[in-house]
This record gives sequence, C-alpha cells and structure tokens, in this order.
Amino acid sequence: MNDSSWSIFVVLLVLLSFILVGLRQKARESQEYGFGGRFTGRIGGGAAIASNWMSAASLMGLAGIIYLHGYQGLAYVIGWTGGYVLLLVLLASQIRRFGKFTTPEFVGERYGSRPARLIAAVISIAISVIYCVAQFKGIGLIFSFMFGLGYEQGVTYGALAVVSYLVISGALGVPRNQQLQYLVICVAFIVPLMWLARRLGYFWVLPQFGYGRALTDLWREFRIDFTLPFADDSLFQWCALCFTLMVGTGGLPHVLSRFYTVPNVRDARWSVVWGLFFIALVYWSAPAFAVFGRLIEARRGMIPSPEAARAAADVVTLNTAVAAGLPGWLVGVLAAGALSAAFFTVAGLLMTGAASISHDIYYSFLNPRASERARMQVAKGGTLVLAALVLIIALDPPGLIAEITAVAFALAGNTIFPLFLLGIWWDRANRYGAIAGMLTGVLCTVAQPVFGGTFPAVAALFPVTSSALCGTPLVILVMIAVSLATPPPPEEMRSFLEQEVHGHMD
Amino acid sequence: MSRPEKRSKVNLFRPKKGHMRDEVLIILAILFGWVVCTFGFQLLVYACRGTGAGSLLTRLTLFNLPLHFWFTGQFLPLWFIFLCIIFNVYVDRITEYHSRKRDRSYE
Repeated sequence: MNDSSWSIFVVLLVLLSFILVGLRQKARESQEYGFGGRFTGRIGGGAAIASNWMSAASLMGLAGIIYLHGYQGLAYVIGWTGGYVLLLVLLASQIRRFGKFTTPEFVGERYGSRPARLIAAVISIAISVIYCVAQFKGIGLIFSFMFGLGYEQGVTYGALAVVSYLVISGALGVPRNQQLQYLVICVAFIVPLMWLARRLGYFWVLPQFGYGRALTDLWREFRIDFTLPFADDSLFQWCALCFTLMVGTGGLPHVLSRFYTVPNVRDARWSVVWGLFFIALVYWSAPAFAVFGRLIEARRGMIPSPEAARAAADVVTLNTAVAAGLPGWLVGVLAAGALSAAFFTVAGLLMTGAASISHDIYYSFLNPRASERARMQVAKGGTLVLAALVLIIALDPPGLIAEITAVAFALAGNTIFPLFLLGIWWDRANRYGAIAGMLTGVLCTVAQPVFGGTFPAVAALFPVTSSALCGTPLVILVMIAVSLATPPPPEEMRSFLEQEVHGHMD
Repeated sequence: MSRPEKRSKVNLFRPKKGHMRDEVLIILAILFGWVVCTFGFQLLVYACRGTGAGSLLTRLTLFNLPLHFWFTGQFLPLWFIFLCIIFNVYVDRITEYHSRKRDRSYE
C-alpha cells in the first residue's frame, strides 16, 4: 500500500470503530442500566470537555498560524486556554444554578423576551455556521490530501461524508463516547510528533520541550527568528486577538452546555480543570509541528514566498509528517485524528444549530402549535440546509482555519458573553439592554468588512478576527445604559437571581 | 446601607455578605492573576524591546526556548490550570464553611 491508501484505510478504520464502540456501549448500557449516558468522574468529564473542544482549528489551524506568524500565533494558544479561566470563575457554577441549557433558553428566561430569544438563536446559529466553515475547510484539505483531489472536490466529498456519517450514526442512535474520542485525537496528534522529533534527532520523549533546540537551530543555521515578539503585528493586535478568543470561549454555544452533563456543580468545576489540562496537552504540542515544519523546509532549501506559505499553512502538520518521511500508516493516524475532531465538531454544531432552528425559531416563534413530528422534520431539514450553507461558504474559504474560527469567537464574545455576564452578575439588566447589546455586538463584529473602507479608524479598532477587545466593553456599556434608561426587569427574576443563583448558601 | 431593603441587589462590585462576598473576592483575585500574567507580561515584553531588560527576556533561555516565548507558549497554559485549581480549592472550602454555618443556624 502507498501512503495515501494507508491514510484512507486508517481514517476509515477509526471512524468505523467509533460507530462500533458506540453501538456496543449502547447495547451494554441498555442491558445493565436501562438508560443511556453515564457519568465517568471528573477526569472523564474533563476528557469530554476537551473532546468537545478539539476541532480542525486546534489540530490543523493552530500549527498553521504559528508556522506563519511565529510568536504572534501564540495569541491563539493563550486565547483558547485562558478563556476557560473566565468561564470557570465568572459563569460556570452560576449558569448551572440558573438551570437553562442553551443560550436562547437562557436569554429567553433571564430577559423574559421572545424577540431577545429569537435574536440570540439566530446569533448562535450564525456562530455555529462560521465555526463549521472552518471545520469544512479542514475536512476538505484532508480529503484532497488523501485522495489527491483539488480543494473544491475535496470539500464537496468531505461534506457528503460528514453528512452521511451524521445520518448513519443518528439512524443507529450511536451515543458519543467522548472519552474515547479525546484519547484517539490526542494520541493521533502526539505520537506522530514524537516520531517526528526522534527522526530529526531532538528530544522525543517530550517533544513539547524538545522543539526548543529546533528553534535554536532554525536561528543558527538559517537566521529565521521564530520567536521575535510583535514582528508582523502590534501589541494591540496581539492583545485584541487573545482577548477576543478568551471572551468568545465564554460565549460559544457548544461549550457552555458541557456544564450540565456532570451531576453537581463541584464536579462540573473540577472537570473544567481536567478539561483545560487535556486541551493544554495538545496546545503545548502544536508549536512543535510549526517549528519542525519550518526547519525541514529550510533544510531542503525551500523558503516559501509569503503567499505560498499562507496557502500551505493549514496543512503544515500533514506536509511536515510526509516531508520528514514518516511511515504511511502514521501519516494516516495524524490525518484520522484531525478528521475525527472536525467530524465530531461539525456533527455537534449542526445538530445543535438545527435543534435551535426547530425549537427556538420554528416552535417558539413561528408555529407554537407544531406537532412533535413536524418539529423533528424541521430539525432534520435544518441540518441539511445548514450543511449546504456551510459548504457554499467553505468552497471559497475567506481565510485560514484559525482566522475563520476567530471570527466565530469574536461574534460570540461581542454578543453572548456580555449577555451572560450581565445576566448573571447584574440583576438590573433588562430585555431592552439585551437586545440593544446584541445588535451593537453584531455591528462591532462586522465593523471592519462593512464600515472599514469608509472609516479606517473603525477597521483599526475592530479587526475582523479580534473585534472583541473594543467590542465587548462597548456592548457592556450599551447594555448598562439602555437598561438604566428603561424599566427594571420583573421582581420575580431579580429575586430568583438573588436567592437561587447567588443565594444558595444563605 | 442604612436604608432597609427587602431584597439585596445582585451586583458583581457590590456583593451581599456571606457566601457571595467570599466568592466575589476569589473571582476578582483570580481575574487579577489572569490579567497581569496574560496582558501585563506582553506589555512588559513590548515596553522592554531594545533595552537591557528586553534582551534579558529574549536571550535567557529555558528548555532552549527564549524566556518570553517559553512564558507565553508553555507557562501561561500551565498558569491557567493553576489558577483554576486555586479557585476550585477555595470555592470548595467556602462552600463547606457556609453550608456548615447554615446548618447550625437551623438547629
């Protein structure tokens, strides 16, 4: 077998085994307990958080952006880990005590407003779509890498594959074993990296530390300085990007709902710590791929032009593995890990997005008398419509995987994060403030592409991938001002916040 | 406040006495550690560029990585984990303290 057929074989094997393991688990659980789903402790909860979080952005985009921008790319590593601190200390326990499972439900209940709930649902769906575009780009790149296709063909076949996977596992009712998923994704990322470090002659047991010498060699042999701080961009751009990714983490639809899958608040809090550790394991490794990629290129005498480097950045992990002469099956393992991460992220986001269309828009707003069956059909149709929409955008991707993902984080940070923050920590925030805040947040997110041409200052303050540094505080101020200028929220909600969310210990 | 109120207000910067005040204190402390190390350090690196201190940050190495690169790329994620652990241990402790206090008041 040649390299690409090995990759296809390993990828098929991994995806198929997830279905088989899921089916076995389902059969066993319905025999033993009579119901599906189980609690696997704080470590298991952490692995589930991490597996939920791992996507093409973590496994492909991160190495790509560091390969391209060096130190500047570390803003992604920090943003995507530091966000969990915000989430844990400010929102996790309180939202759990509040007891609403999705963003539109929380907004509808806390602000007592159907229009606010509708806007929140539309924003959540938009975030999912943008996030999925990045995943589809990753899937398309892996497909074109495995089958030797052009990008458009790769992304189309990839979309067909992911929708079929969704339909098959949905029809069979396969539960997601997230602990196993995390294990496979993590091993599939780190074992090839160890092999790579060993092959290049660096400390391979912990390649996360071993790449330091490669960095030194890159400078000594080729005068390439990977570590120069603020070389391409300014301090403001670094901080804006980092802050955006952090607040975005607190507002992403599929992250918040994780706190409900563990039985109590204390376990939920501790599983965040484990989740962060598992995420950091992968994030400590991604820069190593970037550095090894640059080093191998330089040793082969290839210093790519900025355009060529940008075009190759998102597949730098796979290209580096091939260029270093890793065995075909191991390249397959690397591809399978990234592909599974992208598959599961897409599956999760499309299903929550479709559920939101069916529940928050169709049932709550358009047709409150819809039958269970009609709602189910809307959800199924919604999945396909969303997938088609994502595919159309992904055919001509607007940027690198990490950059597209960052826009989704910016939208979440500008709209949903302030809504949760004030909704939990300030009882005076009301529905008018919420609606004004969300609309301002959307304007901040699209400020650069829409108004940037006319007002250069706007483009500088609200860069499209990092608009939340100025956006979030602005939205919070707007929410406070509008709430104070309009009547306070109902007394019941304020007492609920005071007694249940913050007064459970009094 | 001298004015009697039937219900205290929920405000991050004016927490009510008891569990909420303890919780808000640790939240603000953790957020302080988060801001200073994440953004404060970048500011330091930026401000020290071209000076002696700046070259110290970029020339000193740890695990063969320049100090600033090691701090941002490897230490900060670890620091975040550490902050989360501190927060959880502290919140576990105040939750236990206040639930014991509450139980006694019912005796």
